[in-house]
Amino acid sequence: MRLRVLVSVSAICILSPIAVLAEAVVEGHVELPKSHSAPVMAKRYEIVTIGGVLSPQPPLAVVYLDGSFPKSTAPATKEIAQKDLAFLPSLLPVQVGTRVEFPNLDDTYHSIFSYSPAKRFDVGRYRPEERPIPSEVFDTPGLVTLRCDIHEHMRGLILVLNTPYFVVTNPDGRFRLSGLPSGHYALKAWINSKTTREQPVELKADTVLHVDFP
Amino acid sequence: MMLVVLALTALGLYFTQRKVAATAERDLQENFQAKLVSLHKIQELRHTALTERCGELVFKPRIHAALEDNALDLLYPSAKDELRDLMEGPEPSQAEAAGSLHARFYRFLDATGAILSPPNPQDVGELGAKVKAQLALKKLPETQQIGYVSETADASDEAVDEVMVVPIFSTETGDVISALVVGFKPFEVISKSAGPGLKSGIWMNGRLHLPSVPESAQSALGKEIANAVTKSDRVENNFSVTINGTPQLLFYKLLNPESIFPPAYEVCVYPLTESVAQQRRLRWQIGGAGALLLLGGFVVSQLVAARLSVPVEKLALDFEEDHMQRKRAEAALASTSEELERSARYSADASHQLKSPVSVLRAGLDSLLAREDFKPEVYHELSALLHQTYRLTGVIDDLLLLSRVDAGHLQIEAERVNLGKLIEEWLDDLSALPDSADMKIEKELPAEIYVAGEKRYTSLIVQNLLENARKYNRPGGCIRVAARRETAEVMLTVGNTGRPIAQTAQQHIFERFHRGAPVSEISGHGLGLNLARELARLHGGDLKLLRSDNDWTEFEVRFRVAHPSFNRAAEVA
Repeated sequence: MRLRVLVSVSAICILSPIAVLAEAVVEGHVELPKSHSAPVMAKRYEIVTIGGVLSPQPPLAVVYLDGSFPKSTAPATKEIAQKDLAFLPSLLPVQVGTRVEFPNLDDTYHSIFSYSPAKRFDVGRYRPEERPIPSEVFDTPGLVTLRCDIHEHMRGLILVLNTPYFVVTNPDGRFRLSGLPSGHYALKAWINSKTTREQPVELKADTVLHVDFP
Repeated sequence: MMLVVLALTALGLYFTQRKVAATAERDLQENFQAKLVSLHKIQELRHTALTERCGELVFKPRIHAALEDNALDLLYPSAKDELRDLMEGPEPSQAEAAGSLHARFYRFLDATGAILSPPNPQDVGELGAKVKAQLALKKLPETQQIGYVSETADASDEAVDEVMVVPIFSTETGDVISALVVGFKPFEVISKSAGPGLKSGIWMNGRLHLPSVPESAQSALGKEIANAVTKSDRVENNFSVTINGTPQLLFYKLLNPESIFPPAYEVCVYPLTESVAQQRRLRWQIGGAGALLLLGGFVVSQLVAARLSVPVEKLALDFEEDHMQRKRAEAALASTSEELERSARYSADASHQLKSPVSVLRAGLDSLLAREDFKPEVYHELSALLHQTYRLTGVIDDLLLLSRVDAGHLQIEAERVNLGKLIEEWLDDLSALPDSADMKIEKELPAEIYVAGEKRYTSLIVQNLLENARKYNRPGGCIRVAARRETAEVMLTVGNTGRPIAQTAQQHIFERFHRGAPVSEISGHGLGLNLARELARLHGGDLKLLRSDNDWTEFEVRFRVAHPSFNRAAEVA
């Protein structure tokens, strides 16, 4: 494992010293697995299972700062829609306590459920126009596999994290996490259901730390 | 003969009976097979329906979610919803079981093949320990399996369940992660639909489960099936068995080929009582008919034989008599022939013996005549004696020829003889004789007339007839010679004037040494006509007296015509 820390003053810090000076930033690159699917024009992410490993396709990673952080007082609400018989987005990281809504954007019934230990739920069959939009609160950290009882091929992942500091990389693996507190942490990169990489980081205020996950 | 007919009839009856029996058995087999085929069709339909149902089940997202998302506690509850239609409702009656998909139990196996215990066994069908042991597999199968498990809660009440094991593949890894086992009541052939008497059961692990057959018979049959199954690799077969003294046709078929479960055979038993009775009836009918036929045939043959034997016996008797007569005739003929031969030989010998002294005599007379010192009357006497020697030579020649004819030694070498020319020559000779000066000769001969014969004998015939016509003529009389052709024959008639042959003598003129006139009057020795006729007959013709009355005696001789193509090269005349 190689750690390279570049201490520098970013342009942002110079231009807006009041807002961000107290927070740290981590940016870098996650070496993503090779894509198994041929490149397509309209990128559409889905969760595939290869050899028992659930992973987003094309590959993406979730980079998050692990640690014990206070729960958000105002629980957020996120959304995973079902569109064209697929979950959108197919991979969603949330902080524990987050409510996730499952709007049905197809013209057919869906029946979202999960038997994952982190969250078992079953919203039952519902039509697109049904209100309120079925939703669930995810309050246990862990990976939740979403399935549709009607469309057996559909898979979605919700990565429930204790931390509010997480980000999904872009398709080439680059990420940037900002507004991070100072201190010793483990910076983790979730790559698939079986692989999570980890780097210890020393975050200092007003510094941009560069971390690569080879 | 009767024995042969009896044997043939018995053989015929035997083969007929065998053929009938074979046909009856084949019909029965076909009937039985047809029933089995229809049963198997229903079974197949049920299997297909079950397979489809189980196949759908193992793809259910909730079942997969429970297995793949580590939520085994939710497996049975999830399956309960999915399998509700299989498990709910009352157990169908035996009659409805064939068309029913009602399951008796179901279980999931984990990745190692062990049974995943259900939270509430009563919801998924309770199982005894023995069945559980049979259901637990050492390894999960990759294909659907059909098996049979038996529950021996009570020796007398043994139940067999048909189980279908369907592997569940992980949607994540592609591996077999579990299997669904569904147990059904095995399809049982029931009398109502399968026809009277057809019973079915299952044979597995050396035991026969055929509830409608007594326990003792079941074990005996089980052994026979075990024997048949181990001896033969065939997945289905049939043979005859006897249950409680009743002959039955037993059919078995492997129910679960290539299964990880022990092989189980469907066993169908069909009583042959009716067929055997039918065959026996048929045998009696055929036997009776045969016996009647045989009896009828016997009676008829006796009657016919009796009627036929009368003429046959008569015929045999007649034949015997005829035979005897023939024997006698043959013996007579043989002796006659011997006598004839002997006489012919005697004639020949005599002729030869005579010829030499005659020659000596003639030579002596000739030398005496050559002397000149005798008186003139002595010369006259010597001339007469010499003339007699010439007669004697003629007689001897004729006798020799006749003896050869009699002995059958005379061979005719037929050629084409010009009859007209021959007659002309003899008539010339005749007219030259001193006593023929005043004789008138009439001839009526076609220009060309040829006969088939040997020239010298034909000539002899003609000579004889012409000489007779001259000899027996009266002075100033007439000889008429005529020849005409009649299709294949030439008729030559030679007639002469003169005293006719006496009526009583006419039938004897062709006998040897018979003369139509007193010897003293006319020269001759009584052999000429006989010889002429014999020769004519040898030439395929004949000689006969046409008439002899009113100063006219006429003979007719037949010759065979010689066509121009006949032995042209040998033409002589």
